[in-house]
Amino acid sequence: MITFTAAAAQAVAAHAESTYPDECVGLLLGRIEGTHKLVLETHPVENRWQGQVALAESDNAESRRDRFYLDPRDYLRADRAARERDLDVVGCYHSHPDHPAEPSGRDLVGAQGVGGGPAFAFVIQQVTQGQAADLASWLLLDEGQRFEQEQVEITD
Amino acid sequence: MATITIPTALRQYSAGQSQVELEAGTVGALLRGLVETYPDLGRHLFNEQGKLRNFVNVYVGDEDIRYLEGEATELQSSDTVSIIPAIAGGKS
Repeated sequence: MITFTAAAAQAVAAHAESTYPDECVGLLLGRIEGTHKLVLETHPVENRWQGQVALAESDNAESRRDRFYLDPRDYLRADRAARERDLDVVGCYHSHPDHPAEPSGRDLVGAQGVGGGPAFAFVIQQVTQGQAADLASWLLLDEGQRFEQEQVEITD
Repeated sequence: MATITIPTALRQYSAGQSQVELEAGTVGALLRGLVETYPDLGRHLFNEQGKLRNFVNVYVGDEDIRYLEGEATELQSSDTVSIIPAIAGGKS
């Protein structure tokens, strides 16, 4: 399960709306207790997709409307920011403009460097016609072979 | 002793440790020492050919080792080495 503060959930929604119709991407900072993740802050980063990695048989290196790349240099900065404040990187998020908040085959390929398991959430923010819609969280399981949805809770 | 940081989702394979200090002269020796201590980390860092996996990156300070001397990159005892994933995807 993953719990967002209302402010953190709102930050994900606002970021996703601001980059529409392109996909947005960022990291989630907070605390982990067992398999429960608490998101206290977001760390939005730029979608730097330029075809750096192969995700499908053909990838359009220009298309940030249906691709995202979370540059490891941005992850490194988020990781340092988290450690300095005694927080953890508890997951990442990206948006699906005019598309359900369900992971795609490309999302599965592009998640393989993370390691998977219940301690790291892959959050997807659906955006419909520019307005934030469903927010869903997924765990990478079975040695990276599949995603499983987890419960999302938003608190005050 | 160089310090190596472990990203969140890989800590399940490093007994929960978020960073480890090891004596090593190069990045390669540091990574091998890490995997010797925590064997389950091995398959998450390296592919079947023994090379770093595609979406796994290793930084010394702010520099990607692919732009330094790779695993032969020499380390000072004050260096912090970071294992950092790249994450990508897209809706269709």
